[in-house]
Amino acid sequence: MKNILVELSDALVESAERAGDSTVMVNARRRIPASGIVYTEDLILTANHVVERDEDISVTLPDGTDLSASVVGRDPGSDLALIKLERSGAYPAEPAKMPARVGQIVLALGRPSKNGIEASLGTVSAIGGPFRTHHGGMLERYLRTDSIPYPGFSGGPLVAANGTVLGLNTSGLTRGAAITIPTDIAWKVAETIAKHGHIRRGYLGIRSQAVEISIDAQKALKREQATGLLVMGLEKDSPAAAGGLMVGDILVGVSGSPVTDHDRLFAQLTGDVIGKSTPIDVLRGGQLQFVDVVIGER
Amino acid sequence: MKFIIPEGGSGTFTESLDALVQRVMPSLTIVHGHRWGAGAGIIWGEDGLILTNNHVVGQRSPVVKLQDDSEYASRLLARDPHVDLALLSIEASGLTTLAPAPISPRVGEMVFAFGHPWGQRNSVTRGIVSTTLTAKTRRGREIPIIRSDVPLAPGNSGGPLVNVRGEVIGINAMIIGGDQSIAIPVSVVIEFVERALSKQKNRTRRTKPVPESVL
Repeated sequence: MKNILVELSDALVESAERAGDSTVMVNARRRIPASGIVYTEDLILTANHVVERDEDISVTLPDGTDLSASVVGRDPGSDLALIKLERSGAYPAEPAKMPARVGQIVLALGRPSKNGIEASLGTVSAIGGPFRTHHGGMLERYLRTDSIPYPGFSGGPLVAANGTVLGLNTSGLTRGAAITIPTDIAWKVAETIAKHGHIRRGYLGIRSQAVEISIDAQKALKREQATGLLVMGLEKDSPAAAGGLMVGDILVGVSGSPVTDHDRLFAQLTGDVIGKSTPIDVLRGGQLQFVDVVIGER
Repeated sequence: MKFIIPEGGSGTFTESLDALVQRVMPSLTIVHGHRWGAGAGIIWGEDGLILTNNHVVGQRSPVVKLQDDSEYASRLLARDPHVDLALLSIEASGLTTLAPAPISPRVGEMVFAFGHPWGQRNSVTRGIVSTTLTAKTRRGREIPIIRSDVPLAPGNSGGPLVNVRGEVIGINAMIIGGDQSIAIPVSVVIEFVERALSKQKNRTRRTKPVPESVL
């Protein structure tokens, strides 16, 4: 007769083995090494905070091979870094097809030594976000688990029971406590770093402050929106100035999406909108107006 | 030595867990080796062999308490501080023993610790094998150890770490840094017991326990 406990245990062992083949040791800091996920055959995605130096970086593959590596680019805002191996030969991780769900059984994996893969069992406790990191970044979503973040686990994968990768674990964003950056976000950052060498962020060039919108003005807006961003100043020669934004405007939306505070504006100014003419909704003299601004790059 | 051949659970996760606990619990004992506090021990031989940690056994012979609350004064057969194991003997027979796991622990494998953390009798905690590594004893001997993420506390020492089939993969020995649990693998245990018993055979009959190391 089938024993579900035995099946689950065997699945976890296979999962650790399978995802462990794509989990490497990253040696780029003074204290114990950390972990990394194989993104492509010669690119390793890891946590930015464990890559303390730009030179003399080495990566140990699961088979014990030591390879030297160099930094392709970093995104301190999401604590991710992409490093390139001197030659290809790593086995890329398989991203999970479904995003993580609360309650899901997961393994946190790490390879902080040459002793082999290390694992800790947990469940997805919560899915949070958006979260403004103290490095000026914005995480749309993050995962919290009750797995134990052993020393050297930063940069390693959170994997589902089938061995696919749900995210990248890091303790660098929350002062010690570990969170997991979901795979779709981490992979997107990796893709951008691989292409541009860094993460592109949109730039408007305004100084602003969140203010309440009066009931009358909300009528002009034709929607319920209690707050917007009062433009207090314009940077010289900025995209906002060139597009015709004025001091005293209340910025209430970008591309039709409401902007109620700085975080919402930050989230709108992604790399995707750079160089594009983007309609900015403002309240000017109590009336709703649209100003087209070609978003710059920060 | 009688080993229980585990049968598959029937159906649900909870039933499988329950079957596992029912299988292992009869072999879990309390070992009172110090004036204060107690550790755990497991029935290793149906004729009264009890295995525990060396550090659970104090200077005097411990009192062993079985699941039916019967208490026995034990005789210390062997102890080894370097692998932190001790073998006791009690005047009992027909006890329920546990089977040692036939294969080495695998990373990711689900494991369960049985013991009495903070004196809470017959507790079960769950985790996985995090890694296996080697550690050097003070005598320079290298022994394999199992690190798991199973929550342990004082009172778990000497208790079994079992796999999903209820087979012993190790003896819980210590906690490092609050969240890393260390177990002595069953392979080390088997070697320790075999050496202890062979020395025991070659020894002339003694009426008193032998408190020094036999290794």
